[in-house]
Amino acid sequence: MKVRVGGLIVTALAVAVALTGGSAAAKSNACGTVTINEQAWAGSTANTYVVKNVLEKSLGCKVKISKVAEVPVYQAMADGKTDAILEDWGHVPQWNQYVTKQKTVVRAGPNGVKGVIGWYIPTYLMQQHPEFKTWKGLKGKETLFKSPESGSQGMFLGGDPSYQQKDKTLIKALGLNLKFVSVGAEPAQVARWEQLYKQHKPVLFYWYDPQYLNATYKLSRIQLPPRFKGCLDDEKQGGDPKKYACEYPSYTLLKFMSKKFATSGSPAVGVVKRFSWSNADQNTVAKMIAGDHMDPDKAAQKWIAANKAKVNVWLGK
Amino acid sequence: MTAVAETAGSFGHEVERSGAPLIDVEGVWKIFGRNADRIVGTADAELSRGELRAKHNCVAAVRDVSFQVWPREVFVVMGLSGSGKSTLVRTLIRLIEPTAGRVEIDGRDITSASQAELRELRRHTSSMVFQHFGLLAHRRVIDNVAFGLEIQGVSKAERLRRAEEVLTLVGLDDVGNSFPDQLSGGMQQRVGLARAFAVDPKVMLYDEPFSALDPLIRRDMQDEVIRLQHETGKTMVFITHDLPEALRLGDRIAIMRDGAIVQLGTPEELVGSPADEYVANFVRDIPRSHVLTLRWIMRDPAPGDEDGPRLDVRTTVRNAVPLIVESEKPVCAVEEGRVVGVVDKEAVLTAIAGESG
Amino acid sequence: MAVAQAAGRLAAPPQRRWWRGRAGLVVAIVVGMAIAFIGWRNQVVWPASLTWNALAHHLDSFQVWLSDHRNVPHPSVFFRGFNGLANFLDNLVGWLTSLFFKLTWAGTTVLGVLVVLRFGGRRAALGTAAAFLSFGLMGLWESSMRTFALTLASVGLSLAIGLPLGVLAGRSDRFQRLITPVLDAMQIIPAFAYLMPIVLLFSVGPGAAVVTTLIYSVPPAIRITALGIRGVPTNTVEAAAALGATRMQTLFKVQLPLARRMLLLSVNQTILFALSMVVIAGLIGGQGLGDVVTSGLYSNPALALLAGAAIVIMAIALDRATEAMANRTDPAHRHLTEGKQRQLRLFTLGCAAAVGLAAGLGNALGAGSVWSRWTGQSWLLRQVQSALDYVQNPDTFIFHITNPIGNFLVQYGLEPLRSFFVELPWPAMTFGLALIAFLISGLRPAVVTLAMFSLIGLTNEWTQAMDTLSQVLVATVLTMIVGIPLGVWAAESNRTRRVMRPILDVLQTLPQLVYIIPFIYLMPVSIVPGVIAGVLYASPVVIRLVEAGVREVSPHSVEAAGAFGATRFQTLLKVKIPLAREAIMLGVNQGMIMVLAVVVIGGLVGSGALGYDVAQGLQQSLFGQGVLASLAILALGIALDRVTQGRRRRRLEDLA
Repeated sequence: MKVRVGGLIVTALAVAVALTGGSAAAKSNACGTVTINEQAWAGSTANTYVVKNVLEKSLGCKVKISKVAEVPVYQAMADGKTDAILEDWGHVPQWNQYVTKQKTVVRAGPNGVKGVIGWYIPTYLMQQHPEFKTWKGLKGKETLFKSPESGSQGMFLGGDPSYQQKDKTLIKALGLNLKFVSVGAEPAQVARWEQLYKQHKPVLFYWYDPQYLNATYKLSRIQLPPRFKGCLDDEKQGGDPKKYACEYPSYTLLKFMSKKFATSGSPAVGVVKRFSWSNADQNTVAKMIAGDHMDPDKAAQKWIAANKAKVNVWLGK
Repeated sequence: MTAVAETAGSFGHEVERSGAPLIDVEGVWKIFGRNADRIVGTADAELSRGELRAKHNCVAAVRDVSFQVWPREVFVVMGLSGSGKSTLVRTLIRLIEPTAGRVEIDGRDITSASQAELRELRRHTSSMVFQHFGLLAHRRVIDNVAFGLEIQGVSKAERLRRAEEVLTLVGLDDVGNSFPDQLSGGMQQRVGLARAFAVDPKVMLYDEPFSALDPLIRRDMQDEVIRLQHETGKTMVFITHDLPEALRLGDRIAIMRDGAIVQLGTPEELVGSPADEYVANFVRDIPRSHVLTLRWIMRDPAPGDEDGPRLDVRTTVRNAVPLIVESEKPVCAVEEGRVVGVVDKEAVLTAIAGESG
Repeated sequence: MAVAQAAGRLAAPPQRRWWRGRAGLVVAIVVGMAIAFIGWRNQVVWPASLTWNALAHHLDSFQVWLSDHRNVPHPSVFFRGFNGLANFLDNLVGWLTSLFFKLTWAGTTVLGVLVVLRFGGRRAALGTAAAFLSFGLMGLWESSMRTFALTLASVGLSLAIGLPLGVLAGRSDRFQRLITPVLDAMQIIPAFAYLMPIVLLFSVGPGAAVVTTLIYSVPPAIRITALGIRGVPTNTVEAAAALGATRMQTLFKVQLPLARRMLLLSVNQTILFALSMVVIAGLIGGQGLGDVVTSGLYSNPALALLAGAAIVIMAIALDRATEAMANRTDPAHRHLTEGKQRQLRLFTLGCAAAVGLAAGLGNALGAGSVWSRWTGQSWLLRQVQSALDYVQNPDTFIFHITNPIGNFLVQYGLEPLRSFFVELPWPAMTFGLALIAFLISGLRPAVVTLAMFSLIGLTNEWTQAMDTLSQVLVATVLTMIVGIPLGVWAAESNRTRRVMRPILDVLQTLPQLVYIIPFIYLMPVSIVPGVIAGVLYASPVVIRLVEAGVREVSPHSVEAAGAFGATRFQTLLKVKIPLAREAIMLGVNQGMIMVLAVVVIGGLVGSGALGYDVAQGLQQSLFGQGVLASLAILALGIALDRVTQGRRRRRLEDLA
């Protein structure tokens, strides 16, 4: 008797699901469902939601957002679970594997944003020490950046472990009396330099653009030795530190699509391919989202409304 | 002339030893350790405990034990901690697997029985009472008592009915609905007894059942076991480390030391003629007159002795003293109507004198 | 007298080696290591000739190989099998999720509340209702339901796998010996390290997330179940066997019912462990609250905190509900008459009808699958943000207290300790620790310790591992100092237990980054946040296990002590704690494992070393580095366990 009651309930539930399931039939339009991947930082939220709103409002697509980390997302695209990513910071091994070798992922062009990585200090510090304009000015003044962790040396605040960096080797190559201190992921690193900034203390750290905080805090970049041919950027390659002694390259941020999506004939493919905007655009939207805590959809819609011309280009009009 | 009925022990029952024994234990060994089975039968088996441990990292808990138990008999195994007695009783129903030897219960070979046969034996032929009771804390007393029947698959109504009967038998009529931790230690052990009786076994095993109880309760519980044995006539194998308890309950007693039986006999044999120094030390503090019977101190009747007062030959010396003191003539010890011996005052004095040695 | 002599000979104690257990010798060894440090600081590094440098490269190639063979048009049976499993799990979670959405928020809430009401009682049902309400008010309904579906699937599977294996481990010594190192590895090796292989085998999505969660939540299910089975009194199990019970009868009628409390603890811990993986699960497509936390950490910390709170609320509600349901259905306390049974059946049908009604009405009235109107999210966010602003403001008086403390701790405590470990000549460290292991635990553990440290050197992780070791030791010691007394206190006082319980639940499930990042604003130094994270994560486990162990001590023994006139404190010290020794040792072991488990979190908040290497391994596709760093963490765990386990005395017999 007990079993029967239980069975009755389960059957009822299953029937309920089945009946109401019918209503989820896809709205038959040319676009269908598109899955775009969003990374954790605000810049990625910005470009993802802008493209999402364009696809939804102008093409009637149903847009889903996946949130898979930077490296696994390539497998997600290979499996067809994610259709496109809008911002990649140079994951060359993944390009070799998935694009060149397996051909399960295809390129979708640059997204217009130029990633710039470098050594940054607060602008108030630059004003106090104009010699810090280039790295040579740091020599002899490294103890200015002392911290409890760095002992007698100055502290260089390293970046998020997932970001391309070569600062350990660079410090050695430039012969600076700095200790590379890694304080963890970006939120942790931001916590460190933010506190020092608010106290108007000196701090030297790895930083980059586009980043929404650049609109809130005044930061200045230190000039590193200019790029020369054969300059290395990947620390894991090892070798003579001198080979690393140059500026970080400027990264053209790229978009990628799954092969399945690219060959699906969906009108969304063209929009993704044509999507392109500037650092300033991305930072603006990112600031609305992360700085002003605006709802991402609302922030995206606000920007779209003010930039109809650009959007039309993406739509191919 | 009266045959006074105060006989040896408190049981006063006769054990028929003419037929086949109910339990037959032959050459049982139990060695703990990795190479246990390779030691029996070799010279190493004779090593002392310490030597065996050092050489093979094994412990011989039971060494070459053999004995027999007849129906309705109360067989006591006695020894100090570490003597192997608890291990021995567990090998009888293979709660611990013997390393070597044979055990037969009710004509069936236990040591080579299959798991199914063993289970059948445990369900219907034997039951066990434990030192720490072993009750199920999450069930009521009545369910605890019915547990053995439940395992047999007896219907709920039937097993609860039988459990009620047995609870009455052990004098626990009105605690059926209580939980074990609401009862005192003595009552919990009665529940253990009831559980063992409820399956109506032929053989009952007791593993130091009263060691965890306080001395006053212990005596009551001994009385209880004696009474139950009288009423139900079960065969019992009783483990204890308490000599007075063993002497009080046992028809025959086996004294164990370091895994082997040192002496096996009736209480009087142990007290009257201890096999070695070890046993002698054990029984030294027992008042001999409480255990020894007339059989021990009688002499052959001389002509003319046959007309003295008569007592059963199994009367303990202590109980016989009043009559002997009164009587002028030596007292005749009688067995089944015939005079088998004669006891005079000197014999009694010698027996009593030997107590304070 | 001869009897006494005989008894004396029987009880002769085994020979004790003179050097065993001498605390003074341990101190001498440490002093020796200090001398080595002063004399040869940073001069004797692990020789490059003894490192297998190419290993990382080989591992990277392995991952490439996996990827190549997976992403072909016709993958082999091997991959298809995993795909099938992944699809099954995806569908399982997907089915649950769509159920919650199709019933609409109204139907789902009613379903949850009524199930708990029917099986767990009014109080638990109220708690469940409050939980659902909070998800809606925080504006996190959809994410919460996705996470809920994922958790249900993970916990259900964990228990289905873990309970039987735990029973097996409880009954078979050999099985337990075999499985313990496997479980240790599962709990210590950071998920970050095997995330990519999981993705390559199971793709991304809820299925992969379930697998990742299972690896972490099955071990506690197995361990605690085994402990419970072993804790059933021997005489009781023997009694069942003596009555002729089959193994199944003994298991179901005796062992499981009597192990009930421990089994419940294992269910509770499985739920908490599963929920603590929510954030990592998000990295590979787990969806739900984990994603909200991750992106919140970068752009909206207040939202991250809200999502973290939702995870905690779900954990606590699930835990209380399952506990209530387990208690209510306890056969010992259930006295159901025929009439009552019929009543209950009617009630169940009534509940089912109510759910259907709510779902139907909801759909008809357009309630929608997600509750999204009238949420208090913006208001809540503002409150949390202002609190965060206060914490992040370096002008507050709190900052002026915490900042100097942090600086002092690092500069004069943790950094020097770190230097000591890293720059100590490697022979001094290796042989010193091996010697200590020998003194405390015996020859075999010492050999294992030696092997582990050699492995660390071989994989080229020596300096990193020593760095992490210094921090892990500090965190472990602090955890024991905090955890054991609190556990004992909770065992002695019901009120303490009640007050502590929700706090412990929070600490075990609130995603750590959510509260550690704000903490960094108060103490902007490295190492300290990582250590704090370790202590806060490991203490609840220690407290819980110690409490359970001390409470389980037989009341008869306690009674006996009281009968001798012992004070409460004496009983505690002389009876309860020694008798609870096994549970306390498990608590110590688990505490250490927990500390190691969050080494990666530490790496994300400034602890550097192995944690950082593992994190980098995933995110920069340095699979080999990630694996090696994880192996080093595992090796540290094994070595530490051996050093501290003490001499495990093997009792050959239990004679009376």
